[in-house]
Amino acid sequence: MIAPVLSVQRLSVRIGAARILDDVSLAVPAGGTLGVVGESGCGKSTLLRAILGILPRGAEVPGGAVLFGGRDILADGGASARGRIGFVPQDPYLSLNPVFRAGDQILEIMRRHAPGTRRDHRARLVELFRAVQLPEPEAALAKYPHQFSGGQRQRLLIAAALCCDPALLVADEPTTALDVTTQREILALLQGLAAARGLALLFVTHDFGVLASLCESVTVLYAGRVAESGPTRDVLDDPRHPYTRMLLACHPDRATALAGIPGTVPAATAQPDGCRFHPRCPLARGDCALDVPQPVLHRGRVIACPYHAEALPEVALA
Amino acid sequence: MTALRHILRDPVATFGLLLVLAAVVVALFAPWLAPYPDDAFESHLLQRLRAPSAEFPFGTDNLGRDILSRVILGTRDALTVALAVVGAAIAIGVPVGLLAGWREGWLAETLMRVTDVFLAVPQLILALALGQLMAPGIGTAMVALALTYWPFFARTVFAETRRLRGALFVDALAGIGAHPARILLLHVLPNAAPAILVRATIGMGFTILTAALLGFLGVGAAPPSPDWGLMVSEARQHLPEAWWFPTFPGLAILLLVLGFNLLGDGLRDAADPRLRRSRGH
Amino acid sequence: MPEILGARELVVALGGGRRGLLGRRTAAVRAVDGVSLSIAEGETFGIVGESGCGKTTLARTLLGLQREATGEILLDGRRASGRAPPAARRDRAAVQYVHQDPGAALDPWWRVGATMDEGLRIHGVRDAGQRAARIAEMLEAVGLDAAMAVRYPHELSGGQQRRIGLARILLLRPRVVILDEPTAGLDLSVQAAVLRLLRDLRGRFGLTYVFISHDLSVVRRVCDRIAVMYLGRIVEEGSAEQVFAAPRHPYTRALLAAAPHLDGRASTAPPLTGDPPSLRAVPPGCRFHPRCALARAECAVTPPPTDTVAAGHAVACHRWRETVDAPEKVPA
Repeated sequence: MIAPVLSVQRLSVRIGAARILDDVSLAVPAGGTLGVVGESGCGKSTLLRAILGILPRGAEVPGGAVLFGGRDILADGGASARGRIGFVPQDPYLSLNPVFRAGDQILEIMRRHAPGTRRDHRARLVELFRAVQLPEPEAALAKYPHQFSGGQRQRLLIAAALCCDPALLVADEPTTALDVTTQREILALLQGLAAARGLALLFVTHDFGVLASLCESVTVLYAGRVAESGPTRDVLDDPRHPYTRMLLACHPDRATALAGIPGTVPAATAQPDGCRFHPRCPLARGDCALDVPQPVLHRGRVIACPYHAEALPEVALA
Repeated sequence: MTALRHILRDPVATFGLLLVLAAVVVALFAPWLAPYPDDAFESHLLQRLRAPSAEFPFGTDNLGRDILSRVILGTRDALTVALAVVGAAIAIGVPVGLLAGWREGWLAETLMRVTDVFLAVPQLILALALGQLMAPGIGTAMVALALTYWPFFARTVFAETRRLRGALFVDALAGIGAHPARILLLHVLPNAAPAILVRATIGMGFTILTAALLGFLGVGAAPPSPDWGLMVSEARQHLPEAWWFPTFPGLAILLLVLGFNLLGDGLRDAADPRLRRSRGH
Repeated sequence: MPEILGARELVVALGGGRRGLLGRRTAAVRAVDGVSLSIAEGETFGIVGESGCGKTTLARTLLGLQREATGEILLDGRRASGRAPPAARRDRAAVQYVHQDPGAALDPWWRVGATMDEGLRIHGVRDAGQRAARIAEMLEAVGLDAAMAVRYPHELSGGQQRRIGLARILLLRPRVVILDEPTAGLDLSVQAAVLRLLRDLRGRFGLTYVFISHDLSVVRRVCDRIAVMYLGRIVEEGSAEQVFAAPRHPYTRALLAAAPHLDGRASTAPPLTGDPPSLRAVPPGCRFHPRCALARAECAVTPPPTDTVAAGHAVACHRWRETVDAPEKVPA
């Protein structure tokens, strides 16, 4: 087992009465790719913020740690991670200030976090623009954000994420706003960059297709807890947690695509006791409402359900 | 009222609201609140320029009138003038802004250029000029103020209408066949209302200040009416001995203008529809 | 099934004319350029293509919010085009449109019940009791509690907003509903529920859907027939089975290859090269030729005719006969 570059250990986060994350653990091995999937309200964005060391004001961390390079990011307010974790945001249109040149905005990040002179930075940035395959990398330095297409902006943001030579790239649904052909190019680019630079990737997504093509392993979140995690292929081919099974059954590539999951994701302020999925789960029984399911190891996977070996009733997938 | 609750959570805006409410109460009950209600017009030359005392808390003026009573009686005029001016400015500016914002083409261009021309006219100069043309007086001052203030509403509503015209819900209404008049009056206008309200609140303060200034310059309210600006103006000849004479009317102007401005800023945040809730009123 | 909505050689020009008194004259772009389609009653007709391909403009023109430059629109086999927007909208009131972002399509200051009521009012239902009854019935049909009517749009979840968006349109008793990206931005389980609802409503109210989407997996799952658009033209049209199992146009093939699938297989087709298409610089000949691996000299000169591949399957490509090699297998 390679030492993880990032490891989140039994992290819990609360904001007021809302229990956003509860006992979440995951690890990204050096050079590895991990996908985090889950629906709205599962705590994805709070997890991202914790990893980037930018938890919102008022967030409490009753327990757990986010270890990056052996140091706890939460303990020093993200200072040790700054510049060492590159972040690719979701919306390329909202993430650049339209009144400044795109190049200058990235150079400003480098001025603050990367060693070297402005001249070095410019040279490095042109190199990066070339690496992310922006057309005319020298000329791109002088352009404003609106002069780039959506796909090119996402390339710019990837260059920005790489500008301080990070060990880990964290991407928050970086292709949701893009067309499929552009999405394919961006995913290929991320994959190529990660391989060439030995980068580890943490990919937050709700698209299982993207996950399948990009990530070696996956962590499925539900209502602030890990439902299931393991190698992507295994999880997609044979999901074990009832939530993962029912969620995957909703994928339009599956014949059961219109099945759905009864009920809705609970609000973070009204999480049910015991297993958080039990009110919606066809396998639920008395103790599910009482005890928090302990994660079980099953063929290289961690599954937070003691009944994962049972078959789902047919009606649940109809 | 969520907007009200929002204001109350903001101490600065609450202070503004209290100042405005106090002024409204004073204006409504002025004849009963003023210790010497007749002192609006009646002079008592034997007790001129008395310093503040238990009998006359704010002192008396050059004609022996109780300044406290005159400040109280002046509140009503100040608010009435401001309301009338802002109301007239809304009546002109809002329709112009709606029409120019909704339509594209020569009509919109013409309306907005006319708005710009009015915006460029300095208020005081126009008021002074109108004062020369017509009889100087509070009515002339009000006309001048309304004529120079409506472009602010036109511009605000124009910008809001342009923004809302592209909103998806407006498009959806056009999609189900709603008439433009219905869209403008029932959908665009309410959505623009917060901006209009904020503009109006700040405009109230602004108008009170300018009306006082016009009174001071002698083209607004005429003696002997208890106008704050006029009172400050009359006090000039008796400075520095009678310090109380300009101080209290001046303070009234300051507090009321401040109140409207603070309230306007608070409303700007509070009027956001995303803060509205259907339950828990 | 007979045709309910059709278009013949539809051309839509956007922009053009001057902006402002002293503005420069801008050139018009033809966002839809010679589109013909025929939508049968009761079917779900998918329109796919990437941003800027003209699918939204096509939808707005079918609705009558945008005026066509030339061509005709047919409703029930009768010509229902040729008039300017407000009148054209009335001519085609049987066609209604559900926005991509149903939350933003609701006035934030109006309770959703009032918004639904307004639609009925505009459509001349004068009796308040009748309106209330129809709203209650429709809320039930889209699976919402009647108490939802007093909520404001921002108090609803994404799935609920979509249901309200549908209810509001179905109240007007349309026969054709144009759904613009009806599942964009939804979680998988909510998407499943919305798709199931759409299927049920289609049966219950006898609707015909025009389903605009860029999610090929969803389109494949729910559409009977599919048209693929590129730069204002339909490049391929056929049954979902034909288009997905045996795509003939190189663009369709590239699009299908780019879509990520659950099985994670790496696509064998080379990715598209060249710049994304722009209506401001439409290439001569076949519009796809600058990015097409099969392009020949002819493609840069002559616009391809629309050929019939099989019954109901048409493609606009000079070289479609050369694309027969085994298409990528798509899991059933």
